Amino acid sequence: MDLLGHLRHFRAVAEERHFGRAAERLRIAQPSLSQRIQRLERELGVTLFDRGPRGVELTPAGRLLLAEAEETLDSAARLLATAADLRSGRAGTLRAAVPPELGPATLAALLTGFETASPGTRLELRELPVAAVVRELAQHTVDVAVVRHPCPADGLAFGPVLHQPLGALLAAGSPYADRPELAVAELTGLRLVLFPRATAPALYDEVLTTLTRHGCTPGAVVDPPGPDVAGALVLTGSAIALVPRTTPPPGTVWRPLTGTPLAWRTSTAWPAGRGGPAVRLFAQAAHEALTGPGGLLPQPPNRPLYPRPAMEFPL
Amino acid sequence: MTSDRTGANRTGVERTGAGRTAVDRAAVDRAPYGRAARTRIAAAFADAGVTGWLHARDLDTGAEIGLGADTVVSTASVHKVCLLVTLYREAAAGRIDLTRQVDVPAAGRTPGGTGLAAMLDAARLSLRDLAYLTAAVSDNTAADTLWDQIGLDTVNRTMADLGLSRTVAVHKLRDLIAALAEDTGPDSPVDPAVVARLRVLDPAFTNHSTPRDMTTLLAALWHGDACPGDHGAALRRLLGLQVWPHRLASGFPYDDVRVHGKTGTLPTLRHEVGVVEYPDGGRYALAVFTRAAATTITLPAADAAIGTTARLAVDALRARAATGATG
Repeated sequence: MDLLGHLRHFRAVAEERHFGRAAERLRIAQPSLSQRIQRLERELGVTLFDRGPRGVELTPAGRLLLAEAEETLDSAARLLATAADLRSGRAGTLRAAVPPELGPATLAALLTGFETASPGTRLELRELPVAAVVRELAQHTVDVAVVRHPCPADGLAFGPVLHQPLGALLAAGSPYADRPELAVAELTGLRLVLFPRATAPALYDEVLTTLTRHGCTPGAVVDPPGPDVAGALVLTGSAIALVPRTTPPPGTVWRPLTGTPLAWRTSTAWPAGRGGPAVRLFAQAAHEALTGPGGLLPQPPNRPLYPRPAMEFPL
Repeated sequence: MTSDRTGANRTGVERTGAGRTAVDRAAVDRAPYGRAARTRIAAAFADAGVTGWLHARDLDTGAEIGLGADTVVSTASVHKVCLLVTLYREAAAGRIDLTRQVDVPAAGRTPGGTGLAAMLDAARLSLRDLAYLTAAVSDNTAADTLWDQIGLDTVNRTMADLGLSRTVAVHKLRDLIAALAEDTGPDSPVDPAVVARLRVLDPAFTNHSTPRDMTTLLAALWHGDACPGDHGAALRRLLGLQVWPHRLASGFPYDDVRVHGKTGTLPTLRHEVGVVEYPDGGRYALAVFTRAAATTITLPAADAAIGTTARLAVDALRARAATGATG
């Protein structure tokens, strides 16, 4: 029996919960799909579906086997992808991803560093936001990445976490512009620009919590629809943007925040257990590029952590 | 307005009592309300920066809503429900006396921030009072004292007897906490690289279950199958005495709605399973498991997402019952 083919059909019926719709999706005749499922049930010695007049439903045994089938199909897909890489000579290719706004200088240092360390490896580099990169790391379509935290850790291993302090980008004519640095608490009541919350809700909420922790209750927080709107709001003096150190666009200035209370956290990440030599060299080159030209700082000393009873486990 | 209408129609829904009505499950999952509710639930999880798995079950009609309902998850302290159901089931079978007193010495306690785990002096409590502390404040010492009395095997066998095929306890809390401490070592528990290596987050390593298994267990408890008679009532009372307001209960800020639950927490994991009861007789078993992207210990948005998604699921089940929809 062609097990993988039968499992694919099993999965389609389980997803559609309907033989007719599954057959349509698979572009095969419904009777032959029914026969294949029956054949699989015979082979496994287990009834996979309860058949009703309105459709089909997985039996408890079917549900258990569906989870196994999905795992089997996923690992078969990975096997085929690896074979394709070997066939096309792409086995010497490292697929890497970086987050947006890393800066060209940092990226250049990373590329040069990796090329020097691993001259034989072809590097395929893409720019991906955190949600997409986590998905691709899980599917093994990206081997190693530079990610922003908070980043879901399921199945990933991380390199050391680096900090990129945020400062205030404001209009050159602003009354705050002639100060060498700003205290976060002074931003209370002002309009602040972050990034669209949906792109990284966990980070967005972390920034707001950190602002309140340091005495800042913003008057409003603007979710900019795009970088141009964010820039325009800053230029008109109606809002202050919180961004990492940058070459300020004309008409604006960037000022650090006293005591660097806010930072983006960045590290390298790869699928746990798949940190081969090329991944290690890339992670190392990325770390050096980020701390060198990138200007990212090592993790500051740990803040105190006070357990709360509702957390249910001891620290 | 809306609630009046829902309530009026709700009482018109025929109840089977036993809650074992055959439901056309395929029709349930195809129904537009189910799809819309699942979309809203997924959006609420994403909005809170968590990955979530949920199963909700109308205890009387059997109607259900799920999102990753068969995903195996690390249960953390949610597994205390399995322990308590087993304890009360053993008592109902006459194999254990819940009023028996047990010594809890001052030394050698399983650590934790509540109850006996946080108290300093030797104590002597009945099994049922240890059960109260386990349910009300997730007392790790009280729970391990009970685990030691009845054993992991009895709990696992009971879960299998109740039809929970994917619910297994492999260690007591002291071993779970020891593994957590060993993996953390001297490093910061909020460092993402540390969290990534914690074995207790991996369901293959630690106590585990699925959202659907958990609502199966709660349904058995509410229907009197798991712990017959007064013993079931006594355990349902305990689950209603849990003190935490921040998760499941936060989604039902209504004086006339009763919430029972048991939380579970480990770094980045926040869970709660429970039953909510509406005054019109609607009863719903809920199991919500989450894993946050942020490693922060205190994360109210993730806690609240458990309540929000549970309410979205209950609202969908109630809307379905109110309109008498069958798919």
